[in-house]
Amino acid sequence: MANIRELDKRRKSIRNIRKITRTMELIATARFKKAMDRASAANDYTQRITAIVRDLAAAGLEVSHPLLAERPEIKSSTILMLTSNRGLCGGYNGSVIRAAVQRRNELSDSSDSFRFEISGKRGIAAMKFRNVAIDQMYTNFEDQPAFGEVAKIADRLMEEFTTGRMDRLDVAYTRFVSVSKQITTVETLLPFSQPKPEDEPLAGGAAGAASGSTSGHVAKNDYEFLPSAESILEEVVPASFRVKLFKCFLDAAVSEQIARMVAMKSATENAGDIIKQLSTTFNRARQSKITQEIMEIIGGVEALEA
Amino acid sequence: MSTIQCVVVTPERTELDVQAESVTVPLFDGEMGILKGHSPLVGRLGYGLLRIKSAGSSQNYFVEGGFVQVADNVVSVLTDNVVDASQLNSTAAAQAMHDALALPTDLPELKTTRDKAIDRARALSRITA
Repeated sequence: MANIRELDKRRKSIRNIRKITRTMELIATARFKKAMDRASAANDYTQRITAIVRDLAAAGLEVSHPLLAERPEIKSSTILMLTSNRGLCGGYNGSVIRAAVQRRNELSDSSDSFRFEISGKRGIAAMKFRNVAIDQMYTNFEDQPAFGEVAKIADRLMEEFTTGRMDRLDVAYTRFVSVSKQITTVETLLPFSQPKPEDEPLAGGAAGAASGSTSGHVAKNDYEFLPSAESILEEVVPASFRVKLFKCFLDAAVSEQIARMVAMKSATENAGDIIKQLSTTFNRARQSKITQEIMEIIGGVEALEA
Repeated sequence: MSTIQCVVVTPERTELDVQAESVTVPLFDGEMGILKGHSPLVGRLGYGLLRIKSAGSSQNYFVEGGFVQVADNVVSVLTDNVVDASQLNSTAAAQAMHDALALPTDLPELKTTRDKAIDRARALSRITA
């Protein structure tokens, strides 16, 4: 008879778990929407800065900058890994960690020194477990990374690169493509590759103006540069690097919430399945217990009559 | 009245999108006023006041570097940070100057950071004075 009580207890506890996972799913959905709004709000800046770069290129300027320079020899490289602070988000952290470790193994053959920078408690814990030296840790990035904080990291990385202490920077993160598709990527951010004008959709205002021929648009906007195109380029490249890194953080935040949403949704569904199964077993056990009791009573009555 | 569109964006979001009669931007070496029909221009911004005049009233914002692009009667201001100037006060400016002067100068890179911070504090105190 203990069996029945046991089954009922399990069913109750799974019901509680289902409540929790459903709540977590709802929270993740709300956070995802917020993170998504932020990410799309940030797009405007990216588009406009890309437009400026395009116009600079159209002005016939040779795009060269210390941050764009390819190093002949990679002596020291850095990997920045963006993971989450919290777990329960399916394979999100695992795949980023795997990708980063793989890139690290590839790089450790060619470069002399190696630095690992990690954002997110999950990644830090995983690397500590693997006995990998971590040079820099950040745990201050939640679902809404602030540009100011990312810019600080970006400035430090740029300074390390330009002074020659670092020859290459890779960022391992989950790139957000659409709600149903996020790709784990390891991207080389330094040396920085200039955003190609055709990579990004044109900014709203410019798109309307450029709907004719592109050459007409360029000819029309014969820009005046203050103080000079070179000086603007000097500022544009670091600014676009900062924004690019910020975008990585935003993408990672959005993807994390999606991963958690999906994981919690399937957890809720699985809990429902288990409850169904347990209920069936429970009812069967209860029924057989009742049958057995009736048989016992009938047996007792018959014994008395005999 | 002929107006010009002014859009202020930071990496985080679009802060402003308004129609204005005139826009004054703080370029790295001085202010520049922009009216309707201005020729296309890309300029580097310094620290200072962005003034947007519309319907007789003027709104002031403190911008921290970045760029301005003028094309097709649209002024796009790309900046790292923008603050409503009425929220600034001289104590905050003095504090910013104090913090900037306390920054280390022992490395060339650190010195440029310090110089930037000092420029920012100077602009702040100029505005709030």
